[in-house]
Amino acid sequence: MQKFAVFTGSCQSLPVVQYLLQTNQLACVVLVDTQQNYDLMQLQHWLQQSAIETLTYKCSDDKGLIAQLDRLAVNRGLIYLFRHKIRPALIQYFSGHLVNIHPSPLPDYRGPFPLYWQLRNGENTTALTLHQVTESVDCGNIAADVEIEIHPFDTMNCVQYKVAQALPRLVEKFCQLDEKQEIKWRNQEGNGSKSAPQVEQQQLIVNWHKQTSKQVVNMARAGNVDSGCALFQFRSEAFQLLQASVVDSALTGVQAGMVIEVDRQNGLVIKTVDGALRLDIIGTQQGVFDGYRFAVLFGLEAGLSLVQKDF
Amino acid sequence: MEAHSSQSIASLQYADPQVDELLKHSIRTQLESLLKAKLTTGQRQLLLQKSFVDAMTLVLSNTQVEHLQLVYAFEAMYDQAVQSMALAQLSQEQLTRQYVSASGLIMSPHNCKHTIKDVYRIKGYARGIDLAIQSKLKHASSITILYPACGPFAPLLLPLLSYYKDSQIFTSKQINVILVDVHPGAILSLQQLVKDLQLDDFILRIEAADATEYEPAESIDLLVLEAMQHGFTKEGQLSIAKHLVQFLTLDGWMIPQNVSVRGMLVIGETEFNQQWKEVEYSHSLNTNTSAQQDRVELGEILNINKSTLLNMQELELQDGVKVIPASKIKLPTGVKDMGERILAIYAHIDTFADEGVEQYDSGVTHPRPDMTFYIDAKPRDVEHTHFVASSGDMVQFYYQLSGLPGFVPVKL
Repeated sequence: MQKFAVFTGSCQSLPVVQYLLQTNQLACVVLVDTQQNYDLMQLQHWLQQSAIETLTYKCSDDKGLIAQLDRLAVNRGLIYLFRHKIRPALIQYFSGHLVNIHPSPLPDYRGPFPLYWQLRNGENTTALTLHQVTESVDCGNIAADVEIEIHPFDTMNCVQYKVAQALPRLVEKFCQLDEKQEIKWRNQEGNGSKSAPQVEQQQLIVNWHKQTSKQVVNMARAGNVDSGCALFQFRSEAFQLLQASVVDSALTGVQAGMVIEVDRQNGLVIKTVDGALRLDIIGTQQGVFDGYRFAVLFGLEAGLSLVQKDF
Repeated sequence: MEAHSSQSIASLQYADPQVDELLKHSIRTQLESLLKAKLTTGQRQLLLQKSFVDAMTLVLSNTQVEHLQLVYAFEAMYDQAVQSMALAQLSQEQLTRQYVSASGLIMSPHNCKHTIKDVYRIKGYARGIDLAIQSKLKHASSITILYPACGPFAPLLLPLLSYYKDSQIFTSKQINVILVDVHPGAILSLQQLVKDLQLDDFILRIEAADATEYEPAESIDLLVLEAMQHGFTKEGQLSIAKHLVQFLTLDGWMIPQNVSVRGMLVIGETEFNQQWKEVEYSHSLNTNTSAQQDRVELGEILNINKSTLLNMQELELQDGVKVIPASKIKLPTGVKDMGERILAIYAHIDTFADEGVEQYDSGVTHPRPDMTFYIDAKPRDVEHTHFVASSGDMVQFYYQLSGLPGFVPVKL
């Protein structure tokens, strides 16, 4: 009999918890050792309402947790959105039956921000990959995966929703293979040329000299209504770029970052290294505006440059 | 009395609510005064015409006129002109559209409307154009004037024509004007203003066209060219001049007759701040001697007149950018504080005869600092696209015609 402990810190893992609960395979949920946040509080509330046993992971050591897992006869562990590096003692407890779900086609996009970087790089598809937990993060052998399409307009929230929808499918697939003892662990193929590191503040600022129109568009949607929101600067102030679109421009002799049009219909258009870009939605301290209204209110004129000069 | 009241109400209905909200916001003072005054259309037109005539009377006067008197007269002209703009009922799109075309910046009527308050630019031009017209009409019964990219108010000509009409110095039979602008909002505004000024007889045509491609059917006696934004940048006036100069008669004149664009190396704080601390307003008459002496002049970078325009050779670079070779300049040596100096480009405009617009007289002759030009200094910006040179280097300047016009230095 498989008895799972789900390691998580987010409501986004609820489809997994629900699936295991319904199939009578859930022993407990292990929660992250972190400060309270709204997502975690919601999760705790739901778990309490559903009378699910919860354990708390301790950053200090695993002894207490392992004892509790043993008491509950837990023999399977599933990690999703847990944000702690698992120590060897806990890995050993599960004897190869501790798995992690990583939202990328591993070995690509290993790291803490896989979905952000996949959106930012304009990937058309992603995958939910279920792999064995080893001491090297996101490097264990793969048991199962499901492919997920990314729509060109998808934002982070859209993709997270799609991932949540695909989660039970992946877990069901894994559980059935496990039950039938048919799991075929396979190595992660290749070196994983694309990574998903922590996003640095400087990486959120549009670099008009280097980034193409498409790269800025993807950067904006990857950070749309998220802490990783794309920013552009004007008169030493930073503004959030929530949505942008590629537009054609045959203009020559205009530097990237220059405002080339302000128009009620065509919006606020900026020259880029490979064409032009319409800034569709902009977040400011005064509110959220379309490009045209932003330009009129904040005094962006055609011929002005958004490139910050450092003298 | 009753008939008069109903006529007043009818004539005032335009001011609210049909004026676009943005225009209404930016000229609310003028609209409020219009509403309060309860004027008939005829009365409003008379006030408009008077404001134009008054401003030109001061400008053309050969006696000294106080700066403030000029400012008030031009403010009055602006206040009246924007009421005509409101009457033209531009849509918000027509009012605010602004863009960079293949040959330069096209400003919105909303932003252009202030140029009619540029006292010393209009003064320098109006006095020059007046002399040129007088001179031409000594030998001809009528002349044709072309004013491309004239904006919503054609400020270099419409005030002068109002003055001629009022003083009957010249008649509409003697002067035929073609006004050209690419912006639909400017055209609507111009049509209304010409109608309100009752200058229709002077205006041969108002053409909605790109001035860099426009081909007038008539031979042109006077070609009036607005100056560009400061530092001779952004707007496509050189492309316009280069194209339209061919339509001038053999003895036709371009106004301005000569534009000399010059470069200098300055200490920014001295030139742009300290120099103006003690004076009421920036003007060539108010420059500070020690600040002027502190400048390191580089000389003329480009000279524009009918002759140079006709002989101007255009080069096309690999990326399709069109440029005109300008001057070669040797950067001076032995300047102690060279690393702290910035390049500033300014224009001296000779409109006609002795009339002109000098440095600091107008926004268009205001020296423009070029913060991308470094001599004996390194930019802090790692990813810079700046020009870096040393004292003694020979620099070839090019004038870029495509996109956003401006000077491009190349180290030889």
